[in-house]
Amino acid sequence: MTYRTASIVAYVVFFAVVLALPLVLNSFWTNRVAIYLVYSICAIGISMSWGYAGILSLGQGLFFGMGSYMLAMSLTLAVPENNPVPQLMLLNMEPDAVRDLCCVTTGSFLWIPFRSITVGMIAGIVVPCILAAAIGYVMFKRRTTGVYVSIITLAFALIGQLLIINNQPLTGGFNGLANLALLNIGGFEFDPYGPSAYYTVALTLLAVILLARYMLSGRIGQILKAIREDEARARYLGYDVENYKLFIFCVSAGVAGLAGMLFTLTSEFATPSLMATSLSISMVIWAATGGRASLLGACIGALIVNFVGSLASESATFQPVWPIILGLLFVFVVLFMPNGIAGIFKALVERSGKAERFAEAELSAREA
Amino acid sequence: MNALHRPSQSAALASAAPILRTQNLTVRFDEFPAVRDVDLSIADGELRVIIGANGAGKSTLLDLLCGKTLPSEGEIWLHDRNITGIGEAAIARSGVGRKFQTPTVFKDMTVLENLQVASNRRVRVFQNLFDRVKSGPSDKEIAVAERTGLLGSMKRKASELSHGQLQWLELAMVLSQDPKIILLDEPAAGMTSAETDKTAELLLDLAGQHTVLVIEHDMAFVRRICRTITVMHQGSVLAEGTAEEIERNPAVIEAYLGSATLSHA
Ligand SMILES: Nc1ncnc2c1ncn2[C@@H]1O[C@H](COP(=O)(O)OP(=O)(O)O)[C@@H](O)[C@H]1O
Ligand SMILES: [Mg+2]
Repeated sequence: MTYRTASIVAYVVFFAVVLALPLVLNSFWTNRVAIYLVYSICAIGISMSWGYAGILSLGQGLFFGMGSYMLAMSLTLAVPENNPVPQLMLLNMEPDAVRDLCCVTTGSFLWIPFRSITVGMIAGIVVPCILAAAIGYVMFKRRTTGVYVSIITLAFALIGQLLIINNQPLTGGFNGLANLALLNIGGFEFDPYGPSAYYTVALTLLAVILLARYMLSGRIGQILKAIREDEARARYLGYDVENYKLFIFCVSAGVAGLAGMLFTLTSEFATPSLMATSLSISMVIWAATGGRASLLGACIGALIVNFVGSLASESATFQPVWPIILGLLFVFVVLFMPNGIAGIFKALVERSGKAERFAEAELSAREA
Repeated sequence: MNALHRPSQSAALASAAPILRTQNLTVRFDEFPAVRDVDLSIADGELRVIIGANGAGKSTLLDLLCGKTLPSEGEIWLHDRNITGIGEAAIARSGVGRKFQTPTVFKDMTVLENLQVASNRRVRVFQNLFDRVKSGPSDKEIAVAERTGLLGSMKRKASELSHGQLQWLELAMVLSQDPKIILLDEPAAGMTSAETDKTAELLLDLAGQHTVLVIEHDMAFVRRICRTITVMHQGSVLAEGTAEEIERNPAVIEAYLGSATLSHA
């Protein structure tokens, strides 16, 4: 079996399992796994920018969080008692303020477009993309590379988190947005604990991974890989390296934003801790464990790490040390399995392929 | 072979309009002028050799021409376009190809993939977004691989190649780019004598179709491929002329006194 066939088989098996799971899971686990699949989408975003183009963003949580907030704002306004003005603003407004979204608190007019769910859903992807474009433009035009990109993105995520926490009257502050309506599209309600939300996530994951694979297995994937290998050489061949980096950075942010919206859909809240450094770093660990240069690998890495993590959180002994285990896992992966689970899979397939060819050659030699 | 080309071509080229021109090209690193006041004029289709001792500023001159280093003063013109400071990628697109002294290729990619990235002339992001890559080499890629002796190694990773082969691969990539002018920094460095011979032949073959600017140390090699030589010394152009003229030039002899570069030539 060639590696290509083997990876197609891996994709088919993975999606068969993912699509079949709700048949055997109770509603609690359906919701849990749906959230893990959301994390898988994040890991795909990381794999696209880090695995393919060598851009290690430690601020992916910023885009994830923004996506989550955009949909959560629309779902907040969809709750009847949050009209005309959300409760969180009533609690924080000046006593004599006009009770209207235009001016109840500073900046509250920003909420107005989110009365439309469609705007919320579009903003969930577009806003992270625009944010990434702005950050990326500054970084890449100045030819920031390597660890500096990681530090700058990390800093921006921290700034984002602080801005949200410190603007409680506008954002709900530390508590985030928790009083949300269920997403309702054309009269169909998405139940976070039922198959509807699960399949929304699973099918989005399927679409994202297939589109990403189609794109990255083509010309642009090859060029990004070349940029990762030697960006100066790519420039001397005529490629505007900055534009390529900006592009993949924005796509990766858009994917994270999409995942953020699905997070709101499945977990029914948005919180500033989505932008915490620890979550951004966890995303990198998921992708590294699964194999950063493999989209499916990154996706499986997110599932496995989160599943094991949730088992650990139920045990009194493992729960407090889980962050340490996660850190050690990262060190182990970086040192001993740089291509993660996908790398091991590839090595096994190639070895068995060699053994097969060897056996065949032996057989034909004996027959002759 | 060289006797055949030399006289007629240099005469013809002298009158041709220059493809590449520099004016007062100067760069200083912390006040130290690595290249100063270089006025270069390269004719279309010319094969020009730059020689000079270590540290004379030859590589830095090529860095200026391909945009790697920004000049402190002076201008670079390609045909009638001022390409000073427009950026490496734009300079490359306008037709300048650069081969470095230590080969720079995409190590983790196969020879074929390296050539594919180089020969793709639609370089914008959105032109490549949904563009597929052929699994086999195109005719153009086969031709350039054949010319550089890499045809048998197309499926090998660049990291598995020998040093000489890496030099060839980088050269093949630059050729795939289809540049108007090719800048080569010591293309024969680290090559065996058989490989060096082949390089010399290739350069002669290239001249005419392309304009070639080549830095070389080895005078035997220089004499084989040469038309016009530019001698650099301490950042400036010391002399320009044919091999015989250069070797008789007293200033050059003085600058090279005790240096092995000319004496073993
Ligand atoms: N980036 C740089 N910063 C400081 N000095 C440099 C730099 N690049 C080259 N130089 C200096 O410029 C001089 C010319 O170097 P170079 O062009 O590499 O010489 P050549 O290729 O002729 O041997 C040397 O003295 C070198 O030390
Ligand atoms: Mg040099």
